[in-house]
Amino acid sequence: MISVALGLAYRQLTVLFKNPSLFLPPMLFPLMNFMSFAGGLSRLRHVPGFDFHSGYTAFTFVFVLLQSAAFGGVFAGFGIARDFEYGFARRLLVSAPQRSGLILGYALSALTRWAMIAIVLTTVALIGGMQVGGNGIDLFGMYALAMIFNIVGLLWACGVAMRFRSIQSGPLMQTPVFLLLFLSPVYVPLSLLTGWIHGVARVNPLTFLLEAGRGFIDGHPTQLAAAFGVSAALVVFFAFWARTGLARAERAG
Amino acid sequence: MARSDKVSRDAGIEVIGLVRRFKDVEAVAGIDLTISPGEIYGFLGPNGAGKSTTVHMLTTLLPPSAGRATVAGFDVVKQGSKVRASIGAALQEAALDPFLTGREHLRLGASLHGIRGTERKQLIERLLERVGLTTAGDRKVRTYSGGMKRRLDLALALIHDPSILFLDEPTTGLDPQSRSALWTEVARLAREEGVTVFLTTQYLEEADVLADRVGIIDHGHIVAEGTPGDLKAQIGKSTVEVVPENHDELGRLRELLLRFGEETAARPGAFAVQLNGKGELPSVIRALDTESLRAAEINLHQPTLDDVFLAKTGRTLEGAEEQA
Repeated sequence: MISVALGLAYRQLTVLFKNPSLFLPPMLFPLMNFMSFAGGLSRLRHVPGFDFHSGYTAFTFVFVLLQSAAFGGVFAGFGIARDFEYGFARRLLVSAPQRSGLILGYALSALTRWAMIAIVLTTVALIGGMQVGGNGIDLFGMYALAMIFNIVGLLWACGVAMRFRSIQSGPLMQTPVFLLLFLSPVYVPLSLLTGWIHGVARVNPLTFLLEAGRGFIDGHPTQLAAAFGVSAALVVFFAFWARTGLARAERAG
Repeated sequence: MARSDKVSRDAGIEVIGLVRRFKDVEAVAGIDLTISPGEIYGFLGPNGAGKSTTVHMLTTLLPPSAGRATVAGFDVVKQGSKVRASIGAALQEAALDPFLTGREHLRLGASLHGIRGTERKQLIERLLERVGLTTAGDRKVRTYSGGMKRRLDLALALIHDPSILFLDEPTTGLDPQSRSALWTEVARLAREEGVTVFLTTQYLEEADVLADRVGIIDHGHIVAEGTPGDLKAQIGKSTVEVVPENHDELGRLRELLLRFGEETAARPGAFAVQLNGKGELPSVIRALDTESLRAAEINLHQPTLDDVFLAKTGRTLEGAEEQA
């Protein structure tokens, strides 16, 4: 299974590096979001009750990091759908002795691609004056959460791609992720949200990751058990979703 | 299956009552096959006859609706991973990534089967050389011709030294030179390396040249099976067609030829009979000479697999194509 995963990850990354058009959008999208949020909305830090010591740039950074992780996974799903639509997946299915390794391979490449985006994003944020209150362990926790969220995004998109086996399923991969992201406390902490959005954000699983991530960068880790518990549950659930998607693709031939 | 496990070449393909339905359509309607190790089996039939569906089931790309099949001794449903480790497949559409080079494709193929390091490197070079792609190995596949893609596809199918090779219409769209080169390589694999080859084709000549045995599938059923020679002998009697030099002598010619066989379709101005026995042609020529009947043209038509197809299905393979 590991051989299959490494082989496929190699192919995915080779194709990626040869095609800037595949690499640049997932890289630019979070950067532009970060710059517009951190710049244009920075006055939100003056809202009464906004209590985040590391500043608005760090506050926004965590959201954009998680967003880039989720969309990194979703963009990888586009590649899976393309492989099915153009027949390359058939080669993989007939050649890979352990087919579960294919999901792992796509996940490895998505993770590698996102890691590069995360490095660029972090560099830009630090250059832009982002303050980091947390120590190394805190930051490790924050990146670990984002990494898990990248895998969740990939597994979700993988399940969709393998069920529909067409790049036309792209919007279906993206839309729920958009909803999940923007129904979380994006611009202000959860405590400052009111009305229905507060009710929705309170039960949105991403809120736990976001709050924990912001706690990490601020140096005051919070809701860790909930965040990692939710992350683990999401991975298990979407791994099942992706595997059953693969089974569907296998049945379809 | 670990790479170190030597792939057994002691088992071929066994199929019992294999069925595949797509909603109301039965694409494969209960076929039985036994293919011995090292044998080249030609699977003939028009488009839509069930050839590719059979290949997809045997290569674990499609689960059967009913029946049982073992490939290299492994059940295609229960032991899919072992089947895939034992087979190589070059499917109808050479599914290649246009952004990867030939060498990168082979590297991917090798990695999928756990072949690494120096062994992988040497293997890739050997295969590129064998299929004549050494110089084109670093070019992106989107620049390859159809023939080059087919050859790369074959190399990919061979990357892990499989015991059974599935070739689904491997020469469709190839020029005669590439086709001939591929035939030579397939024959060599079977004769020298003992690889079992399951070859689907629409080209009767291909099956005739390559296959030890042929199965003809039509509407999901195997309608005939045997060696090309046996199949032709089953239905086959040679036909002799004579064009008289003097058209007025067509009546005399008719009388003479009917002594040697039954009348069969002939071109205008000619008369043809299906000969009753083997080796009758010299007798026909002697009789023409004795009767002083001068022939402008004498054609001997040996039975072909197309005649077999016609006899078994009531259609020619070409006609079946149009109906499919």
